[in-house]
Amino acid sequence: MNAITLNKYQLIIMADDKQVVLERILQVTRYRGFLINGMNAEVNTGNNIATITMTVSSERPISLLVDQINKLIDIKGVEVDNSSATNQQHSA
Amino acid sequence: MTESKTLTGSSLLFEVLQEHGVQHVFGYPGGAIMPIYDALYDSDVKHFLCRHEQGAAFSAVGYARAAGTVGVCFATSGPGATNLITGLADALADSIPVVAITGQVPTAAMGSDAFQEIDIFGLSLACTKHSFQVTDINELEKVLHQAFEIALEGRHGPVLVDIPKDIQLAAVTQRLDKLSHLKNKVKLPLADISKALDLLTHAKQPILYVGGGVGMANAVEEVRDFAEKTGMPSVSTLKGLGAINPDNENYLGMLGMHGTKTANIAVQQCDLLVVVGARFDDRVTGKLDEFAPNAKVIHFDIDTAEINKRRAVDAAILGDLKGNLPLLTTDLKISDWQQKLQQMSTDFAWRYDHPGENIFAPAVLKTVSDLMPSNTCITTDVGQHQMWAAQHMSFDDPSNFLTSGGMGTMGFGLPAAIGAQISRPHDTVIAVSGDGSIMMNVQELATIKRYQIPVKVVLIDNAKLGMVRQWQDLFFDGRLSETDLSDNPDFVMLATAFEIKAKLITKKSEVDAAVKEMLDHDGPYLLQVKIDSAENVWPLVPPNTANDKMMEGV
Repeated sequence: MNAITLNKYQLIIMADDKQVVLERILQVTRYRGFLINGMNAEVNTGNNIATITMTVSSERPISLLVDQINKLIDIKGVEVDNSSATNQQHSA
Repeated sequence: MTESKTLTGSSLLFEVLQEHGVQHVFGYPGGAIMPIYDALYDSDVKHFLCRHEQGAAFSAVGYARAAGTVGVCFATSGPGATNLITGLADALADSIPVVAITGQVPTAAMGSDAFQEIDIFGLSLACTKHSFQVTDINELEKVLHQAFEIALEGRHGPVLVDIPKDIQLAAVTQRLDKLSHLKNKVKLPLADISKALDLLTHAKQPILYVGGGVGMANAVEEVRDFAEKTGMPSVSTLKGLGAINPDNENYLGMLGMHGTKTANIAVQQCDLLVVVGARFDDRVTGKLDEFAPNAKVIHFDIDTAEINKRRAVDAAILGDLKGNLPLLTTDLKISDWQQKLQQMSTDFAWRYDHPGENIFAPAVLKTVSDLMPSNTCITTDVGQHQMWAAQHMSFDDPSNFLTSGGMGTMGFGLPAAIGAQISRPHDTVIAVSGDGSIMMNVQELATIKRYQIPVKVVLIDNAKLGMVRQWQDLFFDGRLSETDLSDNPDFVMLATAFEIKAKLITKKSEVDAAVKEMLDHDGPYLLQVKIDSAENVWPLVPPNTANDKMMEGV
């Protein structure tokens, strides 16, 4: 069995509180090869901006996911919280 | 907001379409979109009734690609909407601006598994650039404008707007004052222009790698100017064909799996790749780790996500290609490299001296290419005929070669040709198809008949799913599984049933006269070209192989 190193990242995503924005983020994350380890979403009802904090892991560079999420129309910005980045090994 | 006359959601739709210059739409009616079809009755927008929603979607794609505008298609809820999906996926893969309008069951019935209800909004997530479901009549106008803006903004793509039946019927009492809907999301980093110029001036063996983004950026003139002034040898992707003048002495042809030997060798040997509107697709690179192994990379693109996606770059220049590429124009001292590749192009030129009486598909397509009028638009389906068309036909603009590149969708060619012909009524439009592909959307012959659309069809008939058969022969020990189509219908009789003039040719000696007859015919025409079922497309880079290790025959 080959050991695969999965890098773990925390993303902070700011988005307009629009229809299915969460589904779009989830779909892109899965399709681009990232596992979702946890997430939290809250909406500021004053400005209708959603803040989504998501922990993901993958052997792929996080920039691939950040660029793809940034392309979504309702996304205002994506940041990677580097302080929480870790590595973990999985057998495949 | 200002007061205006009372409209319904459906009639508002047509007002907005006309504000965006839409003259033609492709679609198919049904229960949940009946108010829109009722409003169509009073509209100046011309609707083309296709015979399957997939045909409508591909016609919209063909229309958009041939005319450089947004294509529009309509479908009802449920199966109508799901039938659009392949066309939307195709448009997403090839970055084509399409706006799809779907009817939906009334909002009160949504989520109840109503008749012809499907969550097309959910289904659209993976096959559109963006999508909307309108549940408030006051949002409809803004959403429709946004759909057109998103389809054309940055990297083009398809947008779906799902409109429930009650929203189509609802009264609109207010119109928007001013159109300003889309936030400006474009936040591109500074371009590496000086770094790119440094790489360029130090390169001894550079190659210009041209993709489909050139045509969509309306930058054909700039790319040709760059190629001419720098003298840089160039190669093209499938979707970039037509961007470089095929008569440019330093143009080497298509690269990749079925690219020319010279193009692939040149890329493998180059020390600098200048990539314009291309994305290192797997059909282009072959084994990625061994693609252009000695090359530095300068990448021009409108899409940030394409930079470093499959190949790390040395300089990235994001944004408008039309404005950015001229910044890099400089005189290069590369005459040895140019001469070497020109000699290689001569040594490895295509040959058409095929033995025997059977028709050689590359030769017949070259004949069509040589005889067709200037500015002819070619569409293809997918398979061997597609690759032969790419290899052996010449295109003077990317909008004159419409092929399903990213998705590789059989059934694309005929409806795309219909859309292209509607958008360019004064140009010749030829669909090059195969006997497998044409059956995927053969019902669109009825659309051709109904509107007397003068599309020509060159049907390359080998009674096989030829490309799959070729791979089964080469890579699956000749175990031919479900690729025999020897029980095809009589295509001449089939076309005749749709009142389309048709002819079958089987010998080389018939080719020239038959092609001329087809091109001289005023109306639609189907030319069935019977070829040897054992013919293969060469060269071929086998899967997971470097591009200079191509097969040239067996």
